[in-house]
Order: sequence, then structure tokens, then C-alpha cells
Amino acid sequence: METYQIYSLTSAVLFVIGIGGVFITRHFIKKIIATMIMGGGVFLSFVSFAERDALTFADPVPHALVITGIVVAVASAAFALALARRIYQQTGDISFSNDK
Amino acid sequence: MSLIIDGLLAILAIYLALQSLLAPRLTQSVFLFFAFGLALALAWIRLAAVDVAITEAAIAAGFLGVLFLDALRDFAPRIPAKNEAVQKQYSKSQTKSLFLPRLTLWAGLGLFLLIALEAVWKIPEGGGLTAAAGTLLPESGVENPVTAVLLNFRAYDTWLEMGVILIGLLAVFAAGGKMAYRKPGVASQDPLLRQVILFFTPVLFLFGAFLLYIGKTGPGGAFQAGVLWGAIGILLHLGGWPFIALMPRWLGQLLLTVGLGFFLVLGFLFMAAGGALFEYPPAYAGILILIIETLAAISIAAALSAIFALLNQIGEEADEIESTT
Amino acid sequence: MTIVELITVIFLVVGCFFFLAGTLGVLRFPDLFSRLHALTKADNLGLGFIAAGMALHIASPWAALKILLIWLFTLLASSSTCYLIAHFQKEQDQLKNRKEGE
Repeated sequence: METYQIYSLTSAVLFVIGIGGVFITRHFIKKIIATMIMGGGVFLSFVSFAERDALTFADPVPHALVITGIVVAVASAAFALALARRIYQQTGDISFSNDK
Repeated sequence: MSLIIDGLLAILAIYLALQSLLAPRLTQSVFLFFAFGLALALAWIRLAAVDVAITEAAIAAGFLGVLFLDALRDFAPRIPAKNEAVQKQYSKSQTKSLFLPRLTLWAGLGLFLLIALEAVWKIPEGGGLTAAAGTLLPESGVENPVTAVLLNFRAYDTWLEMGVILIGLLAVFAAGGKMAYRKPGVASQDPLLRQVILFFTPVLFLFGAFLLYIGKTGPGGAFQAGVLWGAIGILLHLGGWPFIALMPRWLGQLLLTVGLGFFLVLGFLFMAAGGALFEYPPAYAGILILIIETLAAISIAAALSAIFALLNQIGEEADEIESTT
Repeated sequence: MTIVELITVIFLVVGCFFFLAGTLGVLRFPDLFSRLHALTKADNLGLGFIAAGMALHIASPWAALKILLIWLFTLLASSSTCYLIAHFQKEQDQLKNRKEGE
């Protein structure tokens, strides 16, 4: 078993944990955390395959993609947080209303 | 031996991810998510992706963690009775849910896990752009391959991504309502906090500049430097110097757009000179990339600290409503 | 194994021991103040030992200086955060006591 295989298998598990969390958890913040965990799984698989394709240095294209991806994911999570906080202030809901 | 470390790190990441979703209290989940981000950063160092590790630790664990902590002011009510009522409502709604949908969900998730594991296990070898990046690296003007890809080979993507950050800021601005550009608050009363913030401001600035410069040869670059400079803005805001409100409006707008704008103007200039968009002449590529990175870092720092300031003001408005009622 | 490697290993083991002690304190101590105490004191000492071990291992003066700076900044940040959290908790406690007294 190689190093990259450990992390690529972990990435699959993380993605499934995230997707399960999106369905199962109710609170807005937990749903946002779940999507970030899903994103972490995707990024981990990218970087693990970059390490497999390494010659003198690891494949830089997935690294660059992941760096941009992290920043974009954080920007969208910030927007989601702003929406969640406004919804809580306006209505007092902490989860989507059809869950009640 | 190294496989044991990797295995333990993988188990730790999975455990932290599960716990951050299953923890009963919201505060616990936020802190466990913090720890999850740092565990992922360690995993990236193990995978020889130090650039990604710095970005993850700074943005995904640090900056996002700060945003979540700030959100806890809203969602972790200080009045326990309110919290208990919400909890009761929770447990009631949970018992009502049906057995069959749950079973289907778990079965589907299990099946999906198997498919995902098989997919990553069997992903075909070969491909990859390491060799192509390696042969073109001398023409890119920098020695760090990740910086070369980010700012030379795929500069178009990086340019669009800075646009995404700006759109993210505008979206937060739109969701935040009308309380932007508020009057500056009173500076923090705590003398120690003020001194620590005043001490860390130049240190963070210097460290950001170092990361920016070292990005040419080693791990570092515009995004990492931008987050560190953004941390200055966050610290100043928390210390009671809301510089977003203090600074003239045109200056803020200039800082936010200078990275994106300069990048675009430069790209079109080279297009007018007969090249492709973002095709730099190899002789000047190094210095051009350094200028672009500096301006990009300034824009990213301004955008991140403005996002934090806006989200923080959403919380402050809620506090005011709570105290008046 | 040279003498320098031996000292490095001893430093790292001692550092890990202090980290373990600090973590145990966070998990076991009853209230916020003693937990903060365990976290900041023991962990900073552990970090100091690990930093010293790593500086010996790298054996380059510039890298050692950077490691020393990292340790100093961590000390500064963690001690001031500790003070801020403790101060906040003290104010909250006083507020609570006053309300109960009325």
C-alpha cells in the first residue's frame, strides 16, 4: 500500500461523510460544515493523485486547482453563513422550515 | 513506519469529520471542524503539497473558523431556556421521522461509499501534467511550479477566481442588509488586547510580505500572503478600529479591485501586442508575476477582511435587537 | 546514533510528555481557569522542547532562529488569549454573582 492510496481512500470516506451530513444534520451551520468536509474530500483526492504522478516534484496543476478551490469554497461558505444568520435574525429558524 | 503515521492521520481526519457533524453542541462542532482543517493541513504536508497546506491552515481552518466562531454569537444563545426549547423541538421532530426513508438513506450512503472507494482505487495511472509543467518551468519566470501554474500557465483561472472572491463579498454585502459602512465603534477598552494587536500588525505584515516574496522559489504566494494581511484587518476590526468604515469609500473600492483590474489590463495589453491573453514575455515574467501577486494579495486581504467585518456587523445588529427587546 | 541525535530525541520525548500532560489537564480539570492554566503552561513548555529538538535536528542557524521566533510568537499569542478568555469569564461570573445577590 502506497502513501497516496491511504489518502485517496480517506478522501472517498470524507466525501461520503460530508454528503451524509448534508442530508442528516439539521442546523444550518452543521450543513455548511458538511459541505466543507465534502470539499475537503475532493481536494484530498486531487492532491493524492498529484503525489502519485510526481516526477522530480509533485504535479503542480492539481495543487494550483486545490488552492483556488479552497479559496472559492471559503468564499461560498461565507455567503452561506451570511444567509443563515440573516434567516435566523428574520425568522428565528435554525434549520429549513419543512423539517419541523 | 511512515505508513503508520499516514494511517493514523487518515483515521484522525475521518474521526474529526464525523465528530464535528455528530457533536451535540454547536460550539463543539465548530471547534472540531477547526481541528479537522488542521489535520487536513498535516495530510497535505505528508503529500508534499506545502503550498496547499499553508492555504488550508490559513483560510479553511483559520479564516473560516473565525467566521464560524463569529456566527456562534447568533446561534449559541446566552439564554439557556431558549436553547432548551429549541432542543425539545428538535427531538420531537426527530421522533416523527419515518423509518423507511432513514433506511433508504443509510443504504444509499453505504452503496455510495463502496462506489467511491472503488472509483479512487481504480483510477487509471498516467496522464498528469508534471512533465509538461517541468519542461516549461524555465520560461515561466519563477522556480516554484505551483506559482508558475497559478500565475503564468493558468493565469486565466486565477484571475476568474479573484473575481469569485469579489462576487462572494458582494453576495455577503447583499445578504447583510443595510448596515454597511457604519460609524466606527469605540476602540477596545482592554489595554492588553490593544497592545497585542498593535504588536502583531507589523509582524503579520512582514510575514505576509515574506510569503509573497518566497512564493517565487518555494511554498508561498499571493493567496497565503493575502490571508495573513487579511488577518491584520480582522484583528484591527476586533480591537475596535473598523478601518473599513474609517477609510474613504473610493479607497476601499480601489483596494478591493486593484488585483483583478491590473491583472485584466495587463492581459489585454499583451493581447494588443499580438500575444495571447496573459501570455507574458519570458524576460519580464518574474517581475510581472511579483507585481501581480502583490496587488492580488492586497485585493484578497481587503476582500477577506471586508467579508469578516460585514458578517461581524450582522451579529452586532442582532445583539442590539436583543438588548432593546 | 550521535550525541546530537540523542539530545534531539530526548527533547522531542520530553516535549511530547508535556503536551500529553496538558491535554490530560484539559480533559480532567473541573473549571475553565485550571483548564486554561494546563493548556497554556504545559503546552507552551512542550512546544518549546519540540522546537529546541527540531532546531538541533535542522542544524542551520537561520532555520533555528525562525523556529525560535515561531515559539516566541506562539507564547505571546497563547498567553494573551489565555488572559482575554479568563478576563471574560471573570466578568461573566461577577455579573452572575451580582444578579444572584440581588
